Amino acid sequence: MNAPADVPLAAARFTGERVPRKEDRRLLTGHGAYVDDVTMAGMVHGMFVRSPIARGRIVAIDVEAARALPGVRAVYTAADLDRHPAKLTGLYGSAESKFPDIWPLAKEDVRHVGDPVAIVLADDRYVAEDGAALVVVEYDDADAVVTIDDAATGAIVHPDLDTNVALMIATPEDPGLEAVFAGAAHVVTGTITHQRQAHVPMETRGIVAALQGSGEMLIHASCQSPHMVARYMDLAFAMPDLHFRVIAKDVGGAFGLKVQPWREEVAIVAAALLIGRPVKWIEDRLENLTASNQAREQDVTVRLAFDADATLLAADIDYRCNLGAYPHGADPNSLAMVMFPGPYKLPRYKFRAQGFYSNTAGQAAYRGPWAMESLARETLLEKAARQIGIDAVELRRRNLITAADQPHTMLTGFVIDRVTPRETLDKLVAHLDTPAFRAEQAAARAAGRYLGLGFAVYVEPTTMAFGGILSSDVADIRIEPTGKVTLTVSTHSQGHGTETTMAQLVADTLGVDIEDVSVMEDDSSRGGFGPGAGGSRQAVSGGGATLIASGKLADKIRAIAAHVLNASPDTISLAGGKVLVAGVAEMTTTVKEIAEIAYYQTERLPEGMEAGLEARHRYRPPPVVYSNAAHACTVEVDVETGMVKILRWVTCEDCGPMINPAVVEGQIAGGVVQGIGGVLYEQISYDARGNPTAVTFKDYLIPTAHDVPELEFLHIATPSASEGGFKGVGEGGAIVGPPTLVNAIADALAPFGADCLTLPLSPPRVLAEIGTRD
Amino acid sequence: MSSHAIETIVNGQSISAQVEARHTLADFLRGTAGCTGVHVGCEHGVCGACTVIVDGVAVRSCLMLAVQADGATVATAESLAAPDGTLHRVQQAMKDEYGLQCGFCTPGVVMTLAAITQGRSPDAEEIKDALSGHLCRCTGYQGMLKVAKRLGGEVQA
Amino acid sequence: MKAAPFDYVVADSVEGAVEALADHAGDAALLAGGQTLVPLLALRMAMPGVLIDINRIDGLAGIARSGGATRIGATTRQNTILHDPLVARHVPALARATGFVGHHQTRNRGTIGGSLGLAEPAAEYPATALALGARIEARSPSATREIAIEDYFLGPYTTALDMDEMITAAIFPDWPEDTIHIVHEVARRPGDFALVGLVAAFAVEGGVFTRAGIGWFGMGPTPMKSARAEAALIGQPAATVDLAGIARLAIEDTDPMSDIHADAAYRRTVGARIFERIVGDAIGQRKAA
Repeated sequence: MNAPADVPLAAARFTGERVPRKEDRRLLTGHGAYVDDVTMAGMVHGMFVRSPIARGRIVAIDVEAARALPGVRAVYTAADLDRHPAKLTGLYGSAESKFPDIWPLAKEDVRHVGDPVAIVLADDRYVAEDGAALVVVEYDDADAVVTIDDAATGAIVHPDLDTNVALMIATPEDPGLEAVFAGAAHVVTGTITHQRQAHVPMETRGIVAALQGSGEMLIHASCQSPHMVARYMDLAFAMPDLHFRVIAKDVGGAFGLKVQPWREEVAIVAAALLIGRPVKWIEDRLENLTASNQAREQDVTVRLAFDADATLLAADIDYRCNLGAYPHGADPNSLAMVMFPGPYKLPRYKFRAQGFYSNTAGQAAYRGPWAMESLARETLLEKAARQIGIDAVELRRRNLITAADQPHTMLTGFVIDRVTPRETLDKLVAHLDTPAFRAEQAAARAAGRYLGLGFAVYVEPTTMAFGGILSSDVADIRIEPTGKVTLTVSTHSQGHGTETTMAQLVADTLGVDIEDVSVMEDDSSRGGFGPGAGGSRQAVSGGGATLIASGKLADKIRAIAAHVLNASPDTISLAGGKVLVAGVAEMTTTVKEIAEIAYYQTERLPEGMEAGLEARHRYRPPPVVYSNAAHACTVEVDVETGMVKILRWVTCEDCGPMINPAVVEGQIAGGVVQGIGGVLYEQISYDARGNPTAVTFKDYLIPTAHDVPELEFLHIATPSASEGGFKGVGEGGAIVGPPTLVNAIADALAPFGADCLTLPLSPPRVLAEIGTRD
Repeated sequence: MSSHAIETIVNGQSISAQVEARHTLADFLRGTAGCTGVHVGCEHGVCGACTVIVDGVAVRSCLMLAVQADGATVATAESLAAPDGTLHRVQQAMKDEYGLQCGFCTPGVVMTLAAITQGRSPDAEEIKDALSGHLCRCTGYQGMLKVAKRLGGEVQA
Repeated sequence: MKAAPFDYVVADSVEGAVEALADHAGDAALLAGGQTLVPLLALRMAMPGVLIDINRIDGLAGIARSGGATRIGATTRQNTILHDPLVARHVPALARATGFVGHHQTRNRGTIGGSLGLAEPAAEYPATALALGARIEARSPSATREIAIEDYFLGPYTTALDMDEMITAAIFPDWPEDTIHIVHEVARRPGDFALVGLVAAFAVEGGVFTRAGIGWFGMGPTPMKSARAEAALIGQPAATVDLAGIARLAIEDTDPMSDIHADAAYRRTVGARIFERIVGDAIGQRKAA
């Protein structure tokens, strides 16, 4: 605001700063607008009747008692919903994927505990649950296929498929590989097993569906993008005369679970079509922990070959994952195969991955769905360091790609560029004071206490605009006649802070105050299609679209001002809501005055210029934008109880220039702590009959404020080739966090020869690793 | 299934209502009282999102029946800020320290913070202990830990 | 997760509450703090026909001294106990155990009577009462009685209370002035049920154990008492007693079960280890690591 008129805008006021979040006031004062806050006249509440068995045939369904209960308005089974058949589609997979027919409600058989069989609609949720309890379903129970091993050898989960293998992918045969292993100075092997996790956003899934007249279905949904929900419903129902409008203002976390609607949401829309009244379904926590899609449950067997200098020669990986019954896609986290080499020079490589169907809840993408590649690689590298007798950091330095190696074509074809794995590791190590820790560790060991230090380094493919739904994002920006700015953009926040970060970009480009910018991303009927959150891409893709659209609008302001003021556009800058002409302070005007000309005094516009102050850009980011990080943490393991205490955690990432460092650090911390949950606390488990055994928050343990360290953040900012130079950062903490922590625990327990490759490292598991249990 | 007349004061407003015995206080506050800032995250008393202040202390509103609030004074997150919009100091601390992301657990967190700092001077460790009664899936608690230090330090200073 | 329908009555006296219990013979549940009962209702794992709310009974909450004991009324809230000076002075183990019960927010509602009535085997209060030799004061329409804690826990979530009987107070007899009180638990996170929990009280006179109380939680189908270890300690010198041997004996009197959080072998192993170390620290007999 106080910039002298003769200085053109140079420094950004907002971009790069820890700007307070615009969304916080409403969220802190209880005025957020989440899906369960939506009520409508005549709205009924849905409750699903779910299968209590993992596998079996439906013999009979008796809904009469439920229908007769006062307050129950309808009970629907699959046969009823078939009046508007809606088939579910997968989001991931390839042409070779085997994907079963999936319908909103079970038809002839049930395939996991929680499989929805019927839906009860009632005046309130209490009565809907009363009604659901009255639906009697007779099942012909069959043995369940629960584990990966069950799936590999047991009965076929989906009768319409001839196998339980949803997809098998593999690198081409390398006939010389075995000779490399045979001739290697060091061969390191291990199988790392990651348990199943649940996403558990604090807000569960939920939807309100209401037919507006006959042609529009209005949906409020808890989702990762209203556009994705509208697209999905349109594909599922394929009704030419029905249009979908989806609204999602505030969403209480998602983490991949809500990347697309699934069976329940589709069933609710079908129910709304049938009953002709608004229908609400809010998933309860019991449903969320049993019937919502889940994540991980993977095992990876790795062989690494090194020469005498600890240089990597080859890797051989066998990867398996449990996709459950109804995964969001028939894909064994294919990116894990692509990304396993990570930031390392790896000359030879064999990888095979299989995803198996089972009678368990289906798999969904979860924050770094391919994260197992980093966990497997980084834990085995530290095992290699212990086995070879070399420092783990030194081993990495000998194998990491450097600036001189870039662009670096991975064996798997992806080209990594503008990443700094070596630099982030060096900065991290410099900050840590490793010698001091090693001295402390030695002293502690002498006193019977076990401290450990672990590292992990990774590179992450973000944005992933190499085809399909992630290809582009769109920003529509306008300056209202009042001078206020409205950005409608295809990003979507479930806590990501895009309402703030996108406004920062706009405010700087247009030289206006951030308070004057409102960001709208909540309505599929405004703006245009974009995939929203997913693939760590919103800063890159949405940010790029926003920057370019804002730039177009800034150009138009300058053109109008130049015309009106009879100045050259080059001399005009925008700052503080003002339009400044270099060296001519008295010619200063305001954005608001230019807006008035653009809308109200159109005769003053340059010849042929379109009226108004509006601009739009659909941005195609680079196909893959790589970010990277190195993390380290220290722990103390209580060898008496197997409890792990995290002492310190340092991160050093390179996500390019940061729009808002506080938002970046929030993303990293959230990911790291989910990773801590995965390593130490969280486990979705099933018994041999396929019954889930952790169905409440009493048994599904996620970290609390008491269980987390205070993170120390270091940053390196190497611009990417994207507009603004941004890189994605949303998922990385959850990818690099787990190997960091596992490595620290394994380092602490090195005197016991423990590898710590079976997660979660619960207290009993840790004692088993130590081998000192009775 | 009995139904009961109750009278409560919610955020300074007197409310007379007929409630079914099984209705939770959380559902009553969200529905009848219109306080949709009371978030229901687990309905079994673990996550803390529904935390409100009843007669001066922080409680899980999913673990009280609405009928039990007859005669009680209840405060929710909607009541914390001053009428002129000035945030309560715990809200301001949460904002300054980036203590929230998706905002779903947030109203419960601020009610616990408001309750334990009302007329008392807990230290950072006691505040952190009370915060351990809230699950947050977004932030990794980094901002909340700073809030605990700040509020704990503030009152000691 | 919405409760099935039930009726609700407010009891305004203990007599009224137990009469209502008798009237609804087996179909009623007492509502005290509700911090365990209400989730069970929401999950429809408990479906009583009637809830009898005892929160409004005058005089049922409160902490008082009487006859060499501390009497804690049934509806006394856990946070009241946590900060109460009489409890801190006379029943310090109870105060410390309370710090492990749930969270701040649930302790504002949760009561000691509710916890003892439910008799959760992994909860802090039942084991504390067992270790300290508390008495359960109970009332039925026909009688008031005190139940010795050794006679109170009959099985998993099963107590000696009759169907028409309610807890009115827990009475904690005084231990000698210099009694060593131990409360220790191994739990995943704050507020979680313990994988292994130990409450113990040791009176030592002239360097010799004169009285011992050892209670465990999370170590069996009920709160568990190590009666043989207690007996074995009496008369032993604190400075040289074979704590490893006592720990083995103490664990032999437990009966831990396996669940998704820890198996029985873990609980036994860790129980013995923490007993030996924590008790050793407390009595000043710490072996070199």
